[in-house]
Amino acid sequence: MTVDTGRSQAPSTAAEDERDTAPPRKGGGWRALAVQPTLVVLGVVAFLVWRSTTTLSETEARQLGWTVLANSVREHLYLTFAAAVIVLAIAVPLGIALTRARLRRFTPAVIGVANVGQAAPAIGLFVLLATWLGFGFRTTVIALVLYAALPVLRNTMVGIQGVDNRLVEAGRGMGMSAFAVLMRVELPLAVPVMLAGVRTALVLLVGTATLATFISGGGLGVLINTGITLSLNSLLIGGAVLVALLALAVDWLGRVVEHVARPKGL
Amino acid sequence: MSETTVSQQSGPIGEGVTARQVSGVSIRLAGVTKRYPGQPAPAVDAVDLEIPAGETVMFVGPSGCGKTTLLKMLNRLIEPSGGKIFLGDEDVTGQDPDQLRRRIGYVIQAGGLFPHMTVAANIGLVPRMLKWDKERVTARIEELLELVGLDPAVYRDRYPRELSGGQQQRVGVARALAADPPVLLMDEPFGAVDPITRQRLQDELLRIQEELGKTIVFVTHDFDEAVKLGDKIVVFDVGARVVQYDTPEAILADPADEYVADFVGAGAALKQLSLTRVHDVQLRPVTTASVGDATAEVVARARAAGDDYVVVLDRRGRPISWPSLPELERVPAVPGTVDEKLPVVGHGSTLNDALDTMLAASQGGAVVIGRRDSLAGVVVIETIMEAIQRTRQGASE
Amino acid sequence: MWDFVVDRRELIAFQAVQHVSLVVQCVLLATVIAIGLAVLAYRSPKVTGLANGISAIGLTIPSFALLGILLAPFGFGITPAVIAVTFYAVLPVLRNAVVGLAGVDQSLVESARGIGMSRAATLLRIELPLAWPVILAGIRVSTQMVMGIAAIAAYVLGPGLGGLIFSGLSRLGGANALNATLVGTIAIVLLALVLDVVLLLVGRLTTSKGIRV
Repeated sequence: MTVDTGRSQAPSTAAEDERDTAPPRKGGGWRALAVQPTLVVLGVVAFLVWRSTTTLSETEARQLGWTVLANSVREHLYLTFAAAVIVLAIAVPLGIALTRARLRRFTPAVIGVANVGQAAPAIGLFVLLATWLGFGFRTTVIALVLYAALPVLRNTMVGIQGVDNRLVEAGRGMGMSAFAVLMRVELPLAVPVMLAGVRTALVLLVGTATLATFISGGGLGVLINTGITLSLNSLLIGGAVLVALLALAVDWLGRVVEHVARPKGL
Repeated sequence: MSETTVSQQSGPIGEGVTARQVSGVSIRLAGVTKRYPGQPAPAVDAVDLEIPAGETVMFVGPSGCGKTTLLKMLNRLIEPSGGKIFLGDEDVTGQDPDQLRRRIGYVIQAGGLFPHMTVAANIGLVPRMLKWDKERVTARIEELLELVGLDPAVYRDRYPRELSGGQQQRVGVARALAADPPVLLMDEPFGAVDPITRQRLQDELLRIQEELGKTIVFVTHDFDEAVKLGDKIVVFDVGARVVQYDTPEAILADPADEYVADFVGAGAALKQLSLTRVHDVQLRPVTTASVGDATAEVVARARAAGDDYVVVLDRRGRPISWPSLPELERVPAVPGTVDEKLPVVGHGSTLNDALDTMLAASQGGAVVIGRRDSLAGVVVIETIMEAIQRTRQGASE
Repeated sequence: MWDFVVDRRELIAFQAVQHVSLVVQCVLLATVIAIGLAVLAYRSPKVTGLANGISAIGLTIPSFALLGILLAPFGFGITPAVIAVTFYAVLPVLRNAVVGLAGVDQSLVESARGIGMSRAATLLRIELPLAWPVILAGIRVSTQMVMGIAAIAAYVLGPGLGGLIFSGLSRLGGANALNATLVGTIAIVLLALVLDVVLLLVGRLTTSKGIRV
């Protein structure tokens, strides 16, 4: 499975690299980046127009009231970014540690375990954690962290392992310490792959956070779930569209960061 | 089985050189033009050319002169914007390209072999498209592998990546010949192999052409290659303008203008060395031995003939090594080890090639092979020095 | 937990079969759709960019949101489940198929055309077989991904093991709630691994020895 996802990601990043770095197409990279926010803005405008023109039943109006709505969105983002910060704090150092010579022999085992974990359905993970830790925000964040750590962990490792070994040797040969080589050579070169992992994780988090509603974690999933259980299509679609727009926006943000933070020589 | 039939056809060495059979057809181009939209000058500008049946015609010229475009218009990988193309008397300009291409062999750099198919599947592709029955396809594959000097039993079921670059190129030629097309188009086929392999492949092509007499159109940027392989050479300038179309000898002796002279390059006198073939000079006879012969008997025979080495042949009569007598005396029977560094040249090779081969192997001579890689004799460096001497005298007179 | 499994082996087996059958059928359908789209797209860089964009953006849409949107026109049942699972399964295969087809060495395509193979024959005999390992990698990614999505689809009354997880959720604190969830989750992980091994074998059997890595 490692090879698998690794391989499927490799061509796409390669294609993006080509698109973004080929000098004549540099403007094209930015232009491609402009499509997604346009879609998002159009979607938001359409949603706002729909929300202010349509007539809503009492229950719908309660859930789609501006304050409630804003609250749901804020909750959703809070879940997403709280989990993202924890994921970064754990997965990046862990990924770096696992590529150091002393721990490298554990790499296959960790990747293997992580892959099996990835095949686990998110909803199962949520419910299992809830039976153990109870419902609520804390459990939700823990479940999200467990679920999103994998892409960051793996891309950190893949990115660092992908750095040409001769460059590392050249760095050591110049008298740089192992730590200096890590900071000055390995990490900067691994940044594009690592950022791709972070973006994947963020998108995954926005999507998975919709499941928080099942264990009382809040967020936009509440709208969808209420819509489903009470057959209120406007709630259902409103929630779903907002989550999709949020995911697209977060994905775009990730792409912009990747585009800006890419080392210039690459 | 097919081996015997084929070798019966081929006959003794040297016989085909003078009277070669022709299975090709002539190609005639009339005002063939290629214009690309948005480009002011046509890539190929109204070319008229007649290529006689059974001859090898080399297209040379600087890169971007349109020679490859012209070649690809012959099998319509590129559609001409104007003009007519005739195969024999038949106007093929409007013919369905797929049908046309099955009658024209096409060889590109590195053979263009399909990596997911075995050697046999690659070669059998066109015959199967032409709905040949199974036995006929199998027999044809065997025959062609023999023709290009690859043992069918060994190579038939291999995949391209299990072959060396030279072997891939041989299979590429075999595939192009599969349906016995009268015309063979070759687009810088030997550009990607090392010089020694290239020279062997060239020898091989000369030998095959001697047997088959196809009409071959061959694009190259290497003028030496053109001189060695071509019956005629076309020198192109930009827009595929034909600057000179003649035999190699005539072009070397009398370049049409400054441009051709530049292209032919300096040292034309030494280039004469590329015009003399190994089969034109005196070859030395040599004592031969088969694998497993008793060395005492072989050594005695060599001593009687005044040789201080013998050439060992495998069961197909192909030279595999040339041990010296002291080396042989150390073992009871003639060993079957293949000497990878054995300097070998085809009898159609130029003296230039022979000299290169000897220098590369640090040997004072080279084994010469003829049809089906069988032994023809040995050429020694003294013979080549004499030839150089003669050319220089000829030049100074 | 063991007693739970033994007691309900028939139900669990039935749901497992349903789950796998939903995933396998949707992935097959998705493969056909994705290869079809890729064939239309890969010759033009513009359309290729569009296809890559669609698969990138499509993957950002949360599955729960899409299922919700699909409920409005189609109602509860198998239809929204099949559409959603197929939709997500298409995306990785589409991206890999485009990359795989575009990655076929152009000199081989020219070679095939040069020996008289038609465009269709070149696609079927040369380009698709050469792109197949990459396409198959996409199918494996798809399969792993939609095993989890199919679990969520159970919420809109689609078939499969997700039913066990949701029944555990609805009876949380009850006698067999944990067992049901645990069995559902583990069964999905195990079946995902089995499917991956099966696809690996399919790859061994369908990839020519000449291009196997």
